[in-house]
Order: sequence, then C-alpha cells, then structure tokens
Amino acid sequence: MKNFFASPLWREFARIVAAVLAALLLGFIITLFVSDDPVGAYRAFLLGPLTRLNRFGDWIEESITLIFVGLAVALVFKAEQFSLGAEGQLLLGALVSGSIALFVPLPAFIRIPLALLGAVVAGFLWGVIPGYLKAYLGANEIVSTLMLNAIALKIYDFLLTYHIKPPNAGYTASETFTADGILPNFIPPLPFLADIRKLFVQQTNITVALYIMIIATLVVYFIMYRTPFGYELRMVGANIKFARYGGIDTKKVILLTMAVSGIFAGLAGAHLSMGIHTKLILNISLGLGFEGIVVSLLARNNPLGVPFAGLAYGYLRAGADIMERSSDVSREMVLVIQAIIILLVTAERIWPLAQTRLAARRAEQEQAPAAPAASH
Amino acid sequence: MTALIDMRDIVKVYPNGVVANDGVDFSVERGEIHALVGENGAGKTTLMKILYRMEQPSGGEIMLDGKPQHYRSSHDAIAAGIGMVHQNFMLVPSFTVAQNIVLGQEPSRRGFIDANEAVRATEELAKQYGLRVDANAVVDSISVGMRQRVEILKTLFRGARVLILDEPTAVLTPQETQELFQAVRALVKQGKTVIFITHKLREVKEISDRVTVMRGGKVMGTIATSEATREGLARMMVGRDVLLTVDKPPHQRGEAVMKVKNLSYVAETGRALLRDVSFNVYAGEVLGVAGVEGNGQTELAEVLSGLRPAAGGTATINGASILNKEPREVRLAGAAHIPEDRLTNGVALKASIDENLIVDRYFGTPFKRGVSIDYKAVKQQGKQLMQEFDIRAPHGQVTVSSLSGGNMQKVIVAREFTSHPAVLIAAQPTRGIDVGATEFVRQMLVRKRTEGIAVLLVSADLAEVMSLSDRIIVMYEGQLTGVFPDAASVAEEELGLYMLGLKRQDPKAMEARL
Repeated sequence: MKNFFASPLWREFARIVAAVLAALLLGFIITLFVSDDPVGAYRAFLLGPLTRLNRFGDWIEESITLIFVGLAVALVFKAEQFSLGAEGQLLLGALVSGSIALFVPLPAFIRIPLALLGAVVAGFLWGVIPGYLKAYLGANEIVSTLMLNAIALKIYDFLLTYHIKPPNAGYTASETFTADGILPNFIPPLPFLADIRKLFVQQTNITVALYIMIIATLVVYFIMYRTPFGYELRMVGANIKFARYGGIDTKKVILLTMAVSGIFAGLAGAHLSMGIHTKLILNISLGLGFEGIVVSLLARNNPLGVPFAGLAYGYLRAGADIMERSSDVSREMVLVIQAIIILLVTAERIWPLAQTRLAARRAEQEQAPAAPAASH
Repeated sequence: MTALIDMRDIVKVYPNGVVANDGVDFSVERGEIHALVGENGAGKTTLMKILYRMEQPSGGEIMLDGKPQHYRSSHDAIAAGIGMVHQNFMLVPSFTVAQNIVLGQEPSRRGFIDANEAVRATEELAKQYGLRVDANAVVDSISVGMRQRVEILKTLFRGARVLILDEPTAVLTPQETQELFQAVRALVKQGKTVIFITHKLREVKEISDRVTVMRGGKVMGTIATSEATREGLARMMVGRDVLLTVDKPPHQRGEAVMKVKNLSYVAETGRALLRDVSFNVYAGEVLGVAGVEGNGQTELAEVLSGLRPAAGGTATINGASILNKEPREVRLAGAAHIPEDRLTNGVALKASIDENLIVDRYFGTPFKRGVSIDYKAVKQQGKQLMQEFDIRAPHGQVTVSSLSGGNMQKVIVAREFTSHPAVLIAAQPTRGIDVGATEFVRQMLVRKRTEGIAVLLVSADLAEVMSLSDRIIVMYEGQLTGVFPDAASVAEEELGLYMLGLKRQDPKAMEARL
C-alpha cells in the first residue's frame, strides 16, 4: 500500500476534498457578507439535512433522482456524445409510469414492474430519436435533444392537463396513486422492522427505488466496462476514427448509447412519479435532467462514482433548501455558493496544471535526466 | 577564431516534466554543412527550435560570433541571421511565390505593396542562389520541391546567414533531393552556413562536413563526416549495433490474394484522386507503392481498408469484394491495415495498451465470454504481445498516450500482425519512428511476407520501398505510371522519372506485369 498516496485514485480524491473545502470557505465568506447570523445560516446549510428524519429523507430521495440521471449522462458523455436529452426522457418516463400506475387495474406486484418497464421503454425510445438523427443523418445531438426536451415537456403538460387531471379538479395534477401504483418503502414489511418502517413511511418517501438505483449503478458499470457494447462505447468516446478503423459500427453504437442512456433517465422519472410525488404534477422536473450533467462530471463519467457524486450534490441541494428556509440568506445567494462549489470541483484543469508546474520546477532544479519519450 | 554558433549546456524541460535537452553543447563553424542526427525524441528538433527561439531554453547560453545572445523570440533570431525551414511548410497556399517570399516585409511604394518589386527581388534572389522558382506561380499549384525552395528563399530574403533545414528530404524524390543538395552546396559557397537535421545516414555521408549525433537529449559526439561510417553513426544513435539492411530470403510467390481492378476514388472536393488503378498482390510478396506524397497513395490504402468509399472499380480479397464495405467486413475478409495517420486512426490515445490491442477481435474467442468481455484474456494477450513486439511500458493498463512514437507504432503493428491477415496494407509503417523501431517493423514485414502473407507497402521513403519490396508499382497523380516486376533490378533514378510522371509505361505492358 506504499504507493497508495501516489495512485491516481487517491490524488483524485484529495483533489476533490481540497476543492470542496476551498469552495465551502469561499461560500462562508460570501455568507458573512449577506447574513446577520452567518454561523447559524451556514450551519443550517452544512448540517441541515442530518438534523431531522424528514430532511434526511428529502436528501436521499433527491439524490436517487440525481443518481439515475447522472448514470444516464455518464453513458452518453463516456461516448463523447453531448446529449442533453435526459430531461425529456425523464418527463416521459414519469408520464408513462404514472399513467400505468393510475389507469392499469392490475395488482401491485404486476402493475409496479409494468410501470417501471413503461418508464424504461419510454426513455429508451426517446433516446432512439436523437441517436438516429445523429448517427445516420448527422444532426447535432445538443440541438436535437434540447428540441426533443421541449416536445416532451409539452406532451407531458398536454396529456396531464387535458386527459389525466380529474375533469373538475381545481388544480393541474393527477389524482394521488393508490397503493397499487406507489413504490413500496425501502424497509421490508417484516415484523421486527415494523417500528422503524412506520417511522420512515410517515416521514420520508425513500422507496425501493433506492435498491433499483444501486442495481442500476452496477448494471451501468457492467455495461460500460465488461461488455462488448461498453468497450465499443468507450472506444467511440476515446477516438471515434480509431473505433471505425478497428471495425466498430460507430453509428449503431451512437444510436444505442443514447437509447440505453434513456433507460436510466426514464427510471428517474418513475422514481419522481411513483416514489416522491405519488401523483403526476406540473413542473415535476424543473431541470433535474440537467443536474445529471453536474453529477456525471463530478464523477468523471465513472458510473461507480455517480452515487457518491449524487449523494454529495443532493446534500448540497438539500442543505441549500434548508438554509434558504431557516435563515435570512436568499435563494440567489444559496445558488451562488452552490455554483462556486461545483465550479471548483469540476475545474478539471486546475490540479493537473499545478502538478505539471511542480514537476517542471522539480526537474529543473535537479536537472535529473528523465526518459525523453515524446518530446517535440 | 570563435565558432559561428556556440550553444552551451542547453537544458530544456517541458512542462510535463520531459527533459528534451540535457546539458547539450553544440557548435557550428562558419561555412560548413553540419548534419544533426538522432532518433525521434533525441532532442534535435528541440535544440534547433531553441536556437531559432521557437522554444525558450530552461538553461544554458547561446553565443553567436562569440557574443552571448539574449533574444526572446523567433523575430530576434531572424534579425540575428538565423532561418529555419520546417518539416511542414509554412506557406500561404493561395498566394504567389513572390508574395510568400516577401510576406511580412513587403516592398512598398506610396503605402501600397509594390508587386513588381516583389517579383523582381524574388527572381534576383533565386538567381543568386541557384534556387529555381516561378515567382508568379500560386503556391497551391507548385511541386513540393519548389515549395521547399520557396521556404529557403523566404529565409534568405530575411537575411539569414544560418539555415536550419529540418528533415528536408523527407518529402522529396531522388531527383529533387539531388537538386536540393546542389543548392545547399551553392549556398555554402556563397558564405552561408547550413544545419541539416535528418535521420537518413546516407544523406549525412553525402552532404555534410561534420555530424553531431544526439541520443536521449544529449550529444553523443561531433565528428568529421569523412571519419564516420554509417554503421558507426547508427550505433551512436541507438546505442547498440543496428542492421541497416533487411535480410530478405528469396520469396515464394503464391496466388493473387488481393485483386484490384480499375479502382477510382473521387474526393469530397470533386477531384479524382485515384483513376483506373489495377494491380494484384500475391501471397508471399511485398508489393511496394512508390510515389511522391500526395499522388493518391494515402487514398489507395484507405479505400482498400474500408475507410473511404470508392467511386468505381472492383477490389477483392480471396474472391470476396471489399469495396465500399465497412472496415469490420474488410477485416473479416482478411485485411489488416497499418494506417498512415497513426494518431488519428491507429490508436485511441486515451485508452490502454490492452484495449488498443483488441479493437479488431474483442467480439471473438477468447475475448467474448457470454455477454461480457473476458478481461483476463485481454490482459493476458496484452502481456504476451508487449513482450513479443517489444512494446516498452510498465504494463498493459497504461494509456497509449504515454508511449513514444515508436512504441505506439509497435502497438499497431502488434495488433495488425497478429490478426491472421491474408493481406497486410502497410502505409508509411516506419514514418517518424526511430532507427531501432524502424529496423524491427521492417524485419517483421519481411517475416510476414516470407510466411506467405500478401503485403501492400505504401511508403514515401523510396529507399524503404526499394529494399523491402519484391515488386514495385509507381503512382503519379492517381494513376499507375509503371510496374516493375523485379524490385532489385530497378535504379532509383529510373523510379524517380516515373514518380514525377516524366516516363510512363505502356498500359498493356503494365497489365501484363500485374
């Protein structure tokens, strides 16, 4: 283990911790300027999510959404496809799973898996479209996915307003799902867990989506690093010309990557409708699909890093919410602090830059002959 | 008398920690032709860029005429009389020769550029140094050899006393090389000094007065060329004995494995870059494609490997058509391809050595197991091929980007040679790699050919084509101008005439030799 501190993994970890600490310090300095009770406000921000069970629940629930979307983004980004379609895929995933949860009169043990499957299929198909456009017609995926997001949002709003909402309701939302359409709590209904289960059911919406999320993470990791498709995907991302030269069907890979990515965004949508809200509401997402980009970047597009990045980012968001509600710091300032943290952590180049500077200086001082590998 | 240029204890450390020059002493006398040789990455180009001030040295000093120089940019270096002709020409293609030569120092009359004066100055300069150029021709339309002369005139126009030529012969035909050498000798006669970077030892012997050998960022020695032998120089460059000639056992020509007939290719710009090209490649032979770069050889290799679409004609491997097929299909038909542009096509820099070695076989045994890839087998193969092909890296999980050019090429060679091909298309297989790796790749090519593989060798290095090939075809402007059934009996100058399109064989005669 003597090389541990020199290993890239450790350096990466140290880098992130250093960035977070620097960002938190900067955030505190800003808080000093805008708050009469900076210590209290900052404590709410830093410790808020841990102070009550319902706040803890909010944090975990939000993180699960972020992790699903983060996995979706990690897949496309690993293939260097800058698809921003997670938002639309998420909305349709929520719409389809929510509709099945509402209207398909089957027992829970069939209806819930069916609803999840519906979300997966919806996300997949909504990824096939920009994938096909990019691979075979050369349409820029950034533009096409953004347009498709707008279309998905309007489809969602239209169906919710005119077809799903109860006709005489004074609000724009579906009816609350019955228990047959709601994801069960993550604690199994066993006698000796009854008390704690009751507590969690009352105060949080942490459902079996937690387990689905863990499985999804492992699945994405397996796909990316253990399957032929994952190899193809990574080679397309590393050098698409090389992939083509080597015989990989790059068009198929691009199409499939965007589609498979949609599966996980769709699951995020199912988690929102069947786990958190237990009904379909307007503005169910508000840009959560884009937060997946932050999560994936924090995790360096590594699926095994996504849960940690998701939990960290979710914590930040939950803490910011609590700070906003319980102190005099405005939402805008909270967002500024949040943005600074993200900025510092994702600034990929700062640390390598510092390192090469250091290495150059050291080599200069020692004038040690190194292997003159690739010079000019 | 002090030396004209005296570089002392030059150190250059790049920001990534690579030491390119490590205490280099280098001096050049007035009026000499000084060859600077060394393997790729030995630090020759870096040293010259420091002299020309395209790079700032990390330490050391430079004396010109015995006076220390403190110039900060190429601008100052040019003012001090140093000129550099780069490997890749830096000319404006849409300007005329004269416009390029005066660029930045245009003669003016009443605030306007004096075009006539520019042409006059160009012609006078060209005459003075015996460098033939057409002052009014647009650079886009002139030959590579003339472009090089324009580059040289450009530096002379700026008052260069010292000319640095960075691998000037890499892109020239034998005739053009001879012309260049004559011009260099004429320059020296008129009091100029020339530094000649190369790794072709034959040229060192032919043109230079003294030679400095670099290896691993250090100077191994400076000797008078008359006292040097090619073998001795090669040993200094590599640090061990090197076989300069490839030992080629007599070949057993087999069946025609690859048949190409009336192949044509039209670029996206609408230009026809291959016109009616026909040839066969037989099992157990190396068919060399000679030609000045840019006459369709690149396109030929890429069309035949599935990277570019053909406009017409046929091409088969063992009877299976390979034109306008995806690269996977072409590979499965039996083709392997060492691509000309290594960094673009040949490797994924961000991926590991192991992963680069499986791109054409990850879907077959022993790598595919059920739905997944057996990474133990991948690692195992990586280890084996790294040993077999002498790829120098700590292990197979390091990224290819950390390898030197020679080792990157070995990764490609290792993959393509072990794919059990029927035909191996090798495009510029030794370009830009060092003497040791070149020796290795050439030996492997010959070995595969002797084992019965059909090899199509495309190379701009005429000496390479001549020493490795059994038969040679020559390409000029997308067409075949000659087929030579016995490579050993062809004279270099003869090939040169076909490469320049000055001679052509009768199409019927060529067909008979395909």
